[in-house]
Amino acid sequence: MIIEVKKLKKTYGGKIPTHVLKGVSFEVEKGEFIALMGRSGSGKSTLLHQLGLLDSPSSGDIIIDGISTINFTQKQKNEFRLKKLGYVFQAYALLPELTALESIYLPLMLSGVPKSQYIKKALEMLEKVGLSERRNHLPKEMSGGEQQRVAIARALINEPAILFADEPTANLDSESSETVLKLFKKLNKEIGQTIIMVTHEPDDKKYVDRVIWLKDGTITSEGI
Amino acid sequence: MNIKAAFFLAYKTIVRGSKGTLIMTILIMTLAYVNLIFISSIFGGIVEAINEQYIDNLYGNIVITPASDKIYIENKQTSSINHIPGIVAISAHYINDALISYDEYKDGNNIQQGKWKIKSVNVEDEKRVTAISDSIISGEYLDDKDRDKIVIGKEIAGGQGGDLDYLSLGGVLVGDTIDVKFSNNIKRTYTIKGIFSTKNNQADQMAFITRKEMESILGVHNLSSEIIIKTIEKGQEEQYIESIRQSGFYDEEIRTWEQLTGFTSSASKSFMMISIILGAIGTIVAGITIFIIIFVSIVNKRRQIGILKAIGMEESTIILSFIMQAVFYAIIGILLGISIILFVIRPFFVDNPLDFPVGWVSLKITFDIIKISNISLMIAALIGGFIPAFRGTRESILDAIWG
Repeated sequence: MIIEVKKLKKTYGGKIPTHVLKGVSFEVEKGEFIALMGRSGSGKSTLLHQLGLLDSPSSGDIIIDGISTINFTQKQKNEFRLKKLGYVFQAYALLPELTALESIYLPLMLSGVPKSQYIKKALEMLEKVGLSERRNHLPKEMSGGEQQRVAIARALINEPAILFADEPTANLDSESSETVLKLFKKLNKEIGQTIIMVTHEPDDKKYVDRVIWLKDGTITSEGI
Repeated sequence: MNIKAAFFLAYKTIVRGSKGTLIMTILIMTLAYVNLIFISSIFGGIVEAINEQYIDNLYGNIVITPASDKIYIENKQTSSINHIPGIVAISAHYINDALISYDEYKDGNNIQQGKWKIKSVNVEDEKRVTAISDSIISGEYLDDKDRDKIVIGKEIAGGQGGDLDYLSLGGVLVGDTIDVKFSNNIKRTYTIKGIFSTKNNQADQMAFITRKEMESILGVHNLSSEIIIKTIEKGQEEQYIESIRQSGFYDEEIRTWEQLTGFTSSASKSFMMISIILGAIGTIVAGITIFIIIFVSIVNKRRQIGILKAIGMEESTIILSFIMQAVFYAIIGILLGISIILFVIRPFFVDNPLDFPVGWVSLKITFDIIKISNISLMIAALIGGFIPAFRGTRESILDAIWG
């Protein structure tokens, strides 16, 4: 088991507190490709943010790779995110000043990997996502689909235990969406990458192993 | 903190960011730096001009005056001063408060008169110590053989645009004769040989006759009321005073030009205070400018900062990256600014000094001014870069990415 979520709650403060997650519990096995689905406001993105340590839950626990993360300091979260987790965001989320190659090797540079190694590995990753010829291109010189593939390569460069994707195809045309989802499936099958993806596209179900349905902050069902 | 990653991001942002923004930012930093140096230097130049006027026209660098119980200094030791290394020249004066009168129509009806200081000079010695002989605006300077000739300042002459025209002789000209009644009541008539105009009001209220002429009036020989001394450089006067004393002036008063120029000293302090205040304002403005530049950059990169944090970059690394950018702008600003100052502005002011009432003013750029300006701008860059970067990175990842 790579993730164990125990009674996870998230409440946003204010005059009228909003209970977005109301005690969610589930488990994820290593190598699973999971989709979090539900209507808008169901809490799926909030759940992904808690799992990815981008936000702090109000209560409950998230155990990743056997490690409880609930009491992590900000520094520990940073370190954990850098080494264990990868993210693909809805909009391509690339730095405009970095080429595809530079974007991909940045996490390795942050991890202190020697230059020769991180360039070699980034080139391999570019090959994997089919963008070798785009390595010296800036984001503005690439299509949306290409940018998202660069973001996927960046997310995977540190060989994360889990890859989180927050509606990764929301801003892509159908052809690019299919390319990205096929890439996810390929990574899941070939290297056993654990992937948790938020999506609202019913058609995306065909690529995943399991769907976790959320409604009003609780899990209503699991399965395909 | 990952210095390498911070540098990498800063470098890529500078190299691949908007060229227009980069040029504008560097231009602002350059101007901020030039402003810092220019303000300090121009005030330094004004103070320098005031000081130079006193040194060149009144005091030299060091002045020896008689012991408190004596009227005159005995000149027997003066030759020994000339042998002190670093002493360029000396000039001994007799000083007498005299009543100078001018009766234009020689009819006793419209006599202009006033009390002024008359100094006597050994012409060649005086020319090596003061610049009065170079400030003649009408006629010519004295010759050692002159006995019935006098050179007067424009404030005495009048009609030359002086500040004290109402106290003057009303516009005497070279060739006119004036009557002088010395403090011992001896009266002499002199022909005006020259009129001088310095940029020092005190100097322009003096008149000069030859040493031999004054000795004949006062009935003294080989004495002096004051000895003024020119040294090889300004600012090192104190080191000569002990040597001068050891050469035989044990009881005499020996003072530097700085000690004698009370007004200049307070004026210098005032100018320096203004300079410091303007410099501080300039530094704060530069700091705020950098702050705004980095702040705008951070607002535009809000989402990117969120992404960097999401992929595991520490806040300190992101902050360092922005500080590196700010420091880069400051360094380039300093380099360009110093080039503009040294190769454009300073040569221009050397060729075209400003005509101030206190003298010809050029920029006085010292190593200290450059050092303080460099440090000020760097501190401004560090603070101006740090605060917005710190505030920007405190935002939560989700807020930064999704707003």
